[in-house]
Amino acid sequence: MKLAILGAGPGGYVAAIKAAQLGAQVTIIEEGEVGGTCLNWGCIPTKSFVASTELLAKTRKLEEFGIELKGEIVPNISKIIERKNKIVTTQIKGIKGLFKSWGITLKKGRGFLVSPKEIVVTSKNGSQEKVEADTIIIATGSRPAQIPLFPFDGNKIISSEDALNLDIPKSLLIIGAGVIGCEFACIYKELGSEVSIVEMLPRAIATEDLEISKLFERELKKKNIKLYTNVKVEKIDVRDDGIHAFLSDRREILAEKILVSIGRAFNSDNIGLEVIGINKGNRREIIVNEKMETTIPGIYAVGDVIGGFLLAHVASREGITAARNIMGGDEKIDYRTVPSAIFTSPEIASVGLREHQALERGVKVKTGHFQFRALSKAHIIGDITGFLKVVSDETSDRILGVHIIGPHASEIIHEGALAIKTGLKTRDIIETIHAHPTLSEGLMEAAEDVHGEAIHIPRK
Amino acid sequence: MNPEDLKYHKEHTWVKVSNRKATIGITHYAQEALGDIVYIDLPEVDINIEVNSEIGEIESTKATSSIISPISGRVIEVNEELSEAPEIVNEDPYGKGWIAIIEIDDITEINDLMDASEYEKYVEEEAK
Repeated sequence: MKLAILGAGPGGYVAAIKAAQLGAQVTIIEEGEVGGTCLNWGCIPTKSFVASTELLAKTRKLEEFGIELKGEIVPNISKIIERKNKIVTTQIKGIKGLFKSWGITLKKGRGFLVSPKEIVVTSKNGSQEKVEADTIIIATGSRPAQIPLFPFDGNKIISSEDALNLDIPKSLLIIGAGVIGCEFACIYKELGSEVSIVEMLPRAIATEDLEISKLFERELKKKNIKLYTNVKVEKIDVRDDGIHAFLSDRREILAEKILVSIGRAFNSDNIGLEVIGINKGNRREIIVNEKMETTIPGIYAVGDVIGGFLLAHVASREGITAARNIMGGDEKIDYRTVPSAIFTSPEIASVGLREHQALERGVKVKTGHFQFRALSKAHIIGDITGFLKVVSDETSDRILGVHIIGPHASEIIHEGALAIKTGLKTRDIIETIHAHPTLSEGLMEAAEDVHGEAIHIPRK
Repeated sequence: MNPEDLKYHKEHTWVKVSNRKATIGITHYAQEALGDIVYIDLPEVDINIEVNSEIGEIESTKATSSIISPISGRVIEVNEELSEAPEIVNEDPYGKGWIAIIEIDDITEINDLMDASEYEKYVEEEAK
């Protein structure tokens, strides 16, 4: 089996390795750097910054931990970026090393499908080469979507990619209180910007459970990050004193820079899809079936370019599924157990049904809550904000959703993902001994609270 | 211990009425039960609030708790000092730790509240 993959992000590179493990002869084509948006412009760089800003925030309260600092705490932006670059470079080398070990050929350049079995690769210097394959996986990803009225200029109106330059303005207006907008809000605020966020929807991080948004909004308030909801930026005017943004409720915000984080646009143009007749949806995403196959047999697509979750770990799973199906398997993905992890401060993570989704679907549920501040470990690490919430089926007691906002939420969530994946009940979590003192105890207590049995909650 | 000139709500808030204005706060019992207060989410000035509804939230090192309004009306002032120093509520719940001033809609709502001795009995019952 000769397999060609277009795009070496978390969808493409994982598919390449999986297919090679299963015996395929793989060629992977990448125009930029391996690792895609995730490694070069997304998950990894931003989390590297979060590591720096979290440490900065913690250092600012060193005294609480009984440590005296003689001198000033000063973030050094160029060193923060240098550290990020080093992490990225190491990971790029890691992926290339894996390619080598599995005999995967990496071709640098832009790929274009000229037939269902041929891709022409054009390198930076203009030279062209044809790659032939029995099967193709398209994993070309996505890019920041822009607002036609005021497109990115890389300086005043910036994208999440430009924002990685950490050119910290006095004031920053973020359009879009989704995951990317809120993560950058926390990073830029900690590094000294005055931050405001404008959101069209009624709440911040509207993809999450209502109670999570509510608490997160309060945390924004504590940080003095201004959030304007149910409102749009209708017009901007760049003047000498800064950018004037005019909102649909007639308010006006003045900022030095604007970060537009309103979503992602799919990289499905200029790669030859029209030539071979692959169907796209309304938002120009590639349409695939449950096996990840496009409307043209033998051509698969995975990751952001097919729309959906737009998460690196989903792209990787889709890559694995496509690779297995290409190599003779017959599998589909269970999207019910996709965890999400948002690296704001505090962190947010969730898996499964939100409470309001359950109600919309007519599922009768019970919920249990537990506050991190009731855990000794939260006090020990000096991070008591947030809660854990379990949503379970009223009759079967099966866990349907877990929602966490607070310290290390993105690590704790996997117990919930495994519980939903394997159909566990809250009783199973309750009867599992959790080590003390840990933050994970909170999930056990939240499960107990479903039945009003939590040990560390006073009688209601 | 609970001032005689105040009226008390069963959700452990107090009201002090002068003219048509009510100053509200949380009781000594409430602040003691909460422990060290670390953050108070104050209501916004100019919003209308209903009696028995949540108008804000208090975070202590061990719990988070809703602030339930003892009276209906419009918020005309909030104690901004509490944003920076929420521990004032622990130190002086009936004085410097006031939370908001409300322009009262219906003065007769006051009659539904407890006086100091009634509240004391109520707290004793609840503590049992």
